Amino acid sequence: MKITQAERMLNLLALLVDRNRPLTLRQVRQELGKQYPNSDEAARAAFERDKAALREMGIPIETKTLGGDSAGEVTYWVNRSNYELSDLKLSDDERIALQLAVATVRLGAQHGEEALWKLGGEKVLRPTAVSVNIGFVDQNMSAITDAVMQRRTLNFDYKGEKRQVDPYGMLSRSGFWYLIGFDHLRKDQRVFRVDRIEGKVSAGQIRAFKTPVGFDVAASVPTEKQMMAAGDGEVTTATVLVDASLVAGVRDEFGDAAIVKERADGSAEFAIPCANMSAFRLWLFAMVESAEVLEPASVRMQVIQWLEQLAGDK
Amino acid sequence: MPAKKPAKRVAAKKTVKKPVKKVTVKKTVKKPVRKTGRRGPRSAAQRVTGLLVMLPWIMQRKRVKISTMAKQFNLSEAELIEDLLMASVCGVPPYTPDALIDVFMDNGMVVAEVPLLFSRPLKLSTAELFAISVMAQTALQLPGANKKGPLSTALTKIAPLMPTGAETIKVELPRAKFVKELREAVATGERCDIEYFSPASQKRSKRIITARKVFEDAGRWYVAADDHQSGEDRIFRIDRIEQIKPVGIFDQLNDQDDQDQQWFSEQMSQVTLRVEPSARWIVESYPYISRVNKRIKNIDVVDITMSITSQHWLGRLLLRAGGGVKVLKPAEYQSLGKKAARTVLDRYNKSGATS
Repeated sequence: MKITQAERMLNLLALLVDRNRPLTLRQVRQELGKQYPNSDEAARAAFERDKAALREMGIPIETKTLGGDSAGEVTYWVNRSNYELSDLKLSDDERIALQLAVATVRLGAQHGEEALWKLGGEKVLRPTAVSVNIGFVDQNMSAITDAVMQRRTLNFDYKGEKRQVDPYGMLSRSGFWYLIGFDHLRKDQRVFRVDRIEGKVSAGQIRAFKTPVGFDVAASVPTEKQMMAAGDGEVTTATVLVDASLVAGVRDEFGDAAIVKERADGSAEFAIPCANMSAFRLWLFAMVESAEVLEPASVRMQVIQWLEQLAGDK
Repeated sequence: MPAKKPAKRVAAKKTVKKPVKKVTVKKTVKKPVRKTGRRGPRSAAQRVTGLLVMLPWIMQRKRVKISTMAKQFNLSEAELIEDLLMASVCGVPPYTPDALIDVFMDNGMVVAEVPLLFSRPLKLSTAELFAISVMAQTALQLPGANKKGPLSTALTKIAPLMPTGAETIKVELPRAKFVKELREAVATGERCDIEYFSPASQKRSKRIITARKVFEDAGRWYVAADDHQSGEDRIFRIDRIEQIKPVGIFDQLNDQDDQDQQWFSEQMSQVTLRVEPSARWIVESYPYISRVNKRIKNIDVVDITMSITSQHWLGRLLLRAGGGVKVLKPAEYQSLGKKAARTVLDRYNKSGATS
């Protein structure tokens, strides 16, 4: 009778775990009987396949080459403590809280559910009242998160250049994942959008670098506000009148300190950074006709010029 | 070969359906009927990986309905039964009943009462550690979350498993007023009066809604709700809700699972845009349906087809792109950018004349 590879793999693992001592392939074949093919060559090939697949699953099969009488023969064993999860002693409340978190946050991969099962939890099948989508669908995400967590240097193509990056951290902000790290090409810390990485990333050895002391992920990725202030234009601030309907949003973004004047109709004048004019334009025109540059005249003129060009008046 | 389990244990379980021989097992197992979503037969490695997760899980629970367990692990019942039957004839030599994995099916239930082999779960992979910690960290940031509650203590217990470096992976959620209030309204089914600002019409409107789901997507908060004015399901941006007041009327809770529902899908129409290098950020910032790179008059352009939520949104996009984008299709949208620019220009002309 023929046995499936899945069945044989399960039996091999059970044997290596249960015997709790190193076994040679010869001994394994003796124990497992006809589960491996009769010919030495075919049996060896099948065993190697099983071993590789088990290792791929995260089961460390240890090996040692024997000396003396059995010189050259290899022994195999599995140390349970190397692959079994120790009991984290999660309380029921803690497990339920994790279940809810996994049900609420959408990552686009099944890893969260798998973690839950291993922690003795269950995936929640009912819909939750709230959900958050921090999309994790990029082909490189697993490799990149692994590199960040294990401090592996990454190699990838970005904007047509080959980059070698020590990944210090990752940030999910406004629907995008950013990778922050030391760029060996630029010899400086840089921010990369994960979805703009071209092709596949490859990762090096673990613990390849040290993250600088005081590294702060969130502070490393400039916000829209910081981008607008980070240009080299001569004029650094413009006064922008924002209609009442959008005042709350702008105040949230730039803070109360940016308010120059509040008008009776609920609209407000804000002092907005504009050193980077193209970033400023993106921000300003997002409000369409609900916002207007008042001062300085040079910035107001520039805005009118843009509009005239687009409207085809001149 | 496996023989019968020891009489003592068999007696304890009324109708033991444990197969006696491997051969009979194989012949009785039908080809699994696959659920949609996965293609092709499962590999040996996939099946073993699945079992190494499922076995400790079921041993901890001892008895679970077959249908419940299949749903839990995203398998068809036939696939689950096939895998568990296989596991039940695996074990260690000499494969006597007491040396086999103790799992069997009885009267619609999966039963695993004696944890002999594979009773402890595997360690979490880095991908799993990343997922669970990032999900917990994100959930802790939700408005109204108990920052010192069980989720936070669970994270503390998981922390020692994390490799160094994991602490530098962060998720930032947008802030919006009323997320907490709307979340409570979803849970209770209570109707709310809202005052909503619509940028498309530049108007504020009062509506009565029953909130059904609060969600965050690409940096913004939304609420999907029954809009009692129009009688339709609508999606509102929470940052545009200016007032909210519960009205004391409660609607029946909506328990439908929306996992496969496409957000926004109904309210969209399709456009095709030609994007020049100066407006390349559009290609990188918004999801598109298809994309073609072209070289026209020595310029590298990209033609993208995308879904839009409103004409107003598209007009705004064209304005922001400052001439770097042309609408190819549909024809009636081709002058939207010009129109948007004129509207804004009108404002500058008016205020320039009066000041």
